[in-house]
Amino acid sequence: TAGTLVRGLSVLAHLERLETRMHRSRKKLEEPQTVQAEESALVTEIQKLRRLRDKLRAEVKRRQAGVKASTANVEPDQTWEITEQEVLERKWENLKAVLQAYRFTGLSGKLTSRGVCVCISTAFEGNLLDSYFMDLIVQKPLRIHRHSVPVFIPLEELSAKYLETNIQHFLFTLCEYLNAYSGRKYQADRLQSDFAAFLAGPLQRNSLCNLLSFTYKVEPRGQSFPLCARLLYKDLTRTLPTDVTVTYQGMDALSTSWEEQRASQENLFRTKPLHHVFTSFARKGEMLDMSLVS
Amino acid sequence: MDETVAEFFKRTILKIPMAEMMTILKAWDFLSENQLQTVNFRQRKESLVQDLVLLCEKKRASLNDAAILDIVYTQFHRHQKVWDVFRMSREPGEDIDLFDMEQFKRSFKKILQRALKNVTISFRDAEENAVWIRIAWGSQYRKPNQYRPVYVVYYSQTPYAFTSSSQLRSNIPLLGQALTIASKHHQIMKMDLRSRYLDSLKAIVFKQYNQTFETHNSTTPLHERSLGLDINMDSRIIHENRIEKERVQRVTQETFGYYPQPRLEFAQYKLETKFKSDLNGGILAEREEPLRCLIKFSSPHLLEALKALAPAGIADAPLSPLLTCIPNKGMNYFKIRDK
Repeated sequence: TAGTLVRGLSVLAHLERLETRMHRSRKKLEEPQTVQAEESALVTEIQKLRRLRDKLRAEVKRRQAGVKASTANVEPDQTWEITEQEVLERKWENLKAVLQAYRFTGLSGKLTSRGVCVCISTAFEGNLLDSYFMDLIVQKPLRIHRHSVPVFIPLEELSAKYLETNIQHFLFTLCEYLNAYSGRKYQADRLQSDFAAFLAGPLQRNSLCNLLSFTYKVEPRGQSFPLCARLLYKDLTRTLPTDVTVTYQGMDALSTSWEEQRASQENLFRTKPLHHVFTSFARKGEMLDMSLVS
Repeated sequence: MDETVAEFFKRTILKIPMAEMMTILKAWDFLSENQLQTVNFRQRKESLVQDLVLLCEKKRASLNDAAILDIVYTQFHRHQKVWDVFRMSREPGEDIDLFDMEQFKRSFKKILQRALKNVTISFRDAEENAVWIRIAWGSQYRKPNQYRPVYVVYYSQTPYAFTSSSQLRSNIPLLGQALTIASKHHQIMKMDLRSRYLDSLKAIVFKQYNQTFETHNSTTPLHERSLGLDINMDSRIIHENRIEKERVQRVTQETFGYYPQPRLEFAQYKLETKFKSDLNGGILAEREEPLRCLIKFSSPHLLEALKALAPAGIADAPLSPLLTCIPNKGMNYFKIRDK
């Protein structure tokens, strides 16, 4: 039964213990020299560790005293020395941080072994968007070794015109193009993601985001008629469209009030960024809802 | 449903491996979730295909729907085709390219259909504002052959188009014309660049393959990766020519960079040069005519293989610019003549 088994085990365990004790004492009797040698080695080890401990304790005390002294505005010479190295390190960290922060100016660069790596960081309405890089090799002639500018941005045209003659103009113009592209892309992305409920079909766009075509409603769930909008951005340095056409879907002749509405919609798209227009639709809808409730 | 269309559906679905069936059908987005759930995907493939074709018939699927399924299959199996690259150009000083995808599709279709009565053209929009076009060619008297289509991938507002190599070469000029006019370009020419790896071709012509740049923000991309000079190696191993090995490594990194190389399977060099010899005399040296020979380098991943040549001791560093210029120039077919 289980009871006898447990008792049996404890008896066995007891026997084991007695056995090991016997082995140990026999071992001690057989090799007294090794035991002694071990003992003395251990003693020296203990002494060594004690000395190290005392040394460390003294060091800790010293530093604590130093900190106390400096916070109490005691002469720095006496207990607290800020080494030259630490000063330089702090300066260097500061400089690195400033160089990293330059990114936020939109145009920054880093010297490379063969020239400079220019970084154009685009932004729209205070939102930091994609960054684009260009590796310039400073030679005669100045050339772009490689870059991450999208293939549909007219980089080759711009560099052929201005890179050699007026690099400042080249960089600023490229910044304009890239920032405008980023801004247009941002507006189109916002429309697709945040205002999908207002769209009655997919948003048609292209690589440059300079032609947008979509069908929309002013109220997502309402009874309003769908409108077709076509936005052309002929100026690639701008984030607002140059040409806007809004029509009521499938309706040619309109009454005066409807024509007014249509024209005002066109004006909205011409003057406000795309996602702002839809935000105002959403807000109007909210106000209507609230007025219905009250 | 027309018999030929049903047959086309059957053969297209049959091509799809069982493991990918659900994924591809979902991407096709013609049969709804509910409809797919009514089908038993654990039965034998032939029976499954029959059930699916029946479903398509019930839903009145058209030839175009089948063509779109074919496009989806090809998108998943793009490596099964060999892709050529065409570059288009337009006169400088042209108006801004206001690319309208719908207008492009209409124009493309109109040009082909005007020239060829019998042709099937299908479109599928893809990511990054690109479009996949499938064209099945017919002739004056024959209906389009759905089993030998040509695919074209075009990224809007770029000068490049990628086409799957086709044996029916007679239609290529017409295809080029349609592409050029529909995308508002003036000229088109075929590049000396070909590979199975469509994404690598795109990386090469769009210059997207070397995208690590030095900035103040990034952790330096210039940390050294040793190609075989392991510091933690057994101390009993000594490199006799360490300096040379380090030079080779440095030159290799300078040429090939730190990025993964785009994938190509071969580079071909057609030589038409006079034989040059150090020895005076000899039969070949007296030839006036150039020697014609073709050298082809093949590899599952050519550029990585070339990158490994010098560090492995098989070739001297730096490698010949004829080999290292491949991604830069966007060429893997070369014709070399005496100047």
